[in-house]
Amino acid sequence: MRRIVAQTRKELTQIVRDWRTLALALILPNVLLLLMSTAISLTVNELPIVVQDFDDSSASHDFIDAIRASITLHVVSWPVNKSPEQALASNAARAVLIIPSHFGRDIARGVNAPVQLLVDASDANTAKLTSGYATQITAAYNRQTAGAMQAGLVQTAIRLWYNPGLSSKKFYGPGVFVLGLSMFPPLLAALAMAKEGEQKTILQVYVSSISAHEFLLGKIIAFMVVALAECLVMCLLLFTYFGLSFAGDPTPFLIATILYAFCVASFGTMVGATIPNQAASMQAVALGGFLLVFLLSGLMFPIENIPAGLRWISNFIWGRYYIEIVRDALLQGGGWPAVWYKVLIVGLIGTIFYGIAWRGMRKMQVKV
Amino acid sequence: MKRLIQFLFNYRLLALIKKEFNQIRRDRRLAISLILPPVVQLTLFGFALSANVTNVRLGVVDDSHSPESRELIATLTESRSFRLAGYYFSVNELGDAVSRGTVDAGVVVPYDYAKDLARDRPTTVQFLLNAMNANTATISRAYAEGVIQSYNSGLRGKGSSSRVETVAGMNLARRGQVQLQPAFLYNPGLVDSWFIVTGVFGLLLILNSSLVSSAAMVREREAGTIEQLLMSPASTSEIIIAKITPLFILLCMMMLVAIAVLKLAFGVPFHGSVAFLLFGGALCILSGISIGTVIATFSKSAQQAQLTSFFVNPPLSSLSGALNPVEAMPKWLQPVTVLNPIHHFATIVRGSTLKGSGFMDLWPNFLGLLIFTAILVSLSVWRFRKQLS
Repeated sequence: MRRIVAQTRKELTQIVRDWRTLALALILPNVLLLLMSTAISLTVNELPIVVQDFDDSSASHDFIDAIRASITLHVVSWPVNKSPEQALASNAARAVLIIPSHFGRDIARGVNAPVQLLVDASDANTAKLTSGYATQITAAYNRQTAGAMQAGLVQTAIRLWYNPGLSSKKFYGPGVFVLGLSMFPPLLAALAMAKEGEQKTILQVYVSSISAHEFLLGKIIAFMVVALAECLVMCLLLFTYFGLSFAGDPTPFLIATILYAFCVASFGTMVGATIPNQAASMQAVALGGFLLVFLLSGLMFPIENIPAGLRWISNFIWGRYYIEIVRDALLQGGGWPAVWYKVLIVGLIGTIFYGIAWRGMRKMQVKV
Repeated sequence: MKRLIQFLFNYRLLALIKKEFNQIRRDRRLAISLILPPVVQLTLFGFALSANVTNVRLGVVDDSHSPESRELIATLTESRSFRLAGYYFSVNELGDAVSRGTVDAGVVVPYDYAKDLARDRPTTVQFLLNAMNANTATISRAYAEGVIQSYNSGLRGKGSSSRVETVAGMNLARRGQVQLQPAFLYNPGLVDSWFIVTGVFGLLLILNSSLVSSAAMVREREAGTIEQLLMSPASTSEIIIAKITPLFILLCMMMLVAIAVLKLAFGVPFHGSVAFLLFGGALCILSGISIGTVIATFSKSAQQAQLTSFFVNPPLSSLSGALNPVEAMPKWLQPVTVLNPIHHFATIVRGSTLKGSGFMDLWPNFLGLLIFTAILVSLSVWRFRKQLS
């Protein structure tokens, strides 16, 4: 026990002495959290739209006013003598609404008046949102002008749960929080472990009386402390700037966080022990900690959208389970019944990493 | 002119370039990191990142138990948007299922649904949506409303009472309805991956160029051979050109591989000029190399250079609009994207592949990219000189 504490203290001293690693551990994750959570969001407001009104009647002005009043679309001006496609090609607008002549007359006659919406679909998701917004505005406009008789019989009352303001920040914030935890603590752990191999200081460990388990645990506890400190700072940000709070029972989150800290610290130590080269192990962590967690954990897009050939990999991605736990704790509040097995899996994956790290250390001895 | 040619083809410069080429050829990791990433990253990102919303799991509480309610549920679930995940007996049970995450959305049909329909009275169907993911929620809300709208128009044509109503409705007081007809230009099939891969292409060029060049630049310093280079009769500009040329050629080859992946694996259409694409890509690679060089001049070892790039790359890539629309960023961050070479390049790629835009549409982006590249290259040359002296 005493040896584990001593090993932990040695690691923490090394971290505190290097400003670059300390900044990497505590400041960068927060910068990332602020930047990424807003920068990867997909929901858009104030999409620029060009309206070409060939009718210029009071009815068409009414309709344009309805679009102007929405917060989702933003009408920009466009000269009438230029073709509407030009506005899309030069990225001046995301969509063009064309109101044909006779629009006002058709409306007054009681005939349905078609209106064309050209959408720039080079970004498919935004195109779907744009046309969805325009459809909603048109439907509301129709309902307003037509009166009760023509409204549909079946009405929808839609309740948005957990995030009624549809704020992307609240969804991506917890995701990027997990991404930060999956990236920086293992990076530092891998660097520290690889350094022992690279500078051959591991030999001193072998000749000392410390056992492999004590050595590894000491290292892992040190980086768990780093991870938990990072987690604390990021949680402050989540609770203030992101406006999140615990939705239900916080104990699954707390236990899962400690287990996840163990999991990522073991992952870094494992990489450092199996690849005793600082630059190479850094790339391995960047691949495992960043790329896999970013792509295959449902951080940005739902896992169900990944083709089945790749989707099975996400079952082994440790970040995936933790993201679900964090989102549950901060948004859904399902508590233990919803997440108990995810907490177990995080612990299990951490133990596997620890086992591989332990074996890697024995191999390191042969190599050095 | 003659002096320039003489300068470019003098013996010293060629010898230096040859040396750099040999060094890169012998570095297996560098060669791998030039060929593997474009293929792996483009395919992974292109296939794994899809914002498409299909098969939303729908839980149903049907208190009406009537043919009408079953028809409504069938209409909802026969589209590809919703998939029936299960029936529940009460709203509370459905709520539990939503919070456990077994269903993403729920629909509650009231007990007097069929009765109201028969009497031509408006009736309300409740939808519960798990709105954690704002994007998915917005799109599935639009789906739900669309399905109900078309279900309504089907109802209107069917019942006898409504037929009477339509005839009666043709009086003078009736106003026409606005019919929106959306047309999706440039990507009528709404293929998600086209947007992602054209964005990742730019990310790939800049990030890999900076990674490879910082590794190459810092190596001389790490090994301590930089003094030997300084003692040689070669001038600093010769040293820099010799360092950049082979990297530039190799990265251009990587760009061609990436373009082949775009075309073959994802079927991205090339409606515009490929020359724009190549020219923009070359500028992008140059600015990536310059970023790498600047990073290298601040670091003493390859490890430090990599750590420093962790501070530069995430903001550069997340504020580019490569993976998401620029309009989704906060208002005050949007102008920052003008300073980002990846943003300009992504616009050029999308313009010259999907949209078929000409030079008249893309010149602001070329100008931005050109200015940025010029500034970065001169900054890197200045930093490199300072480091040498």
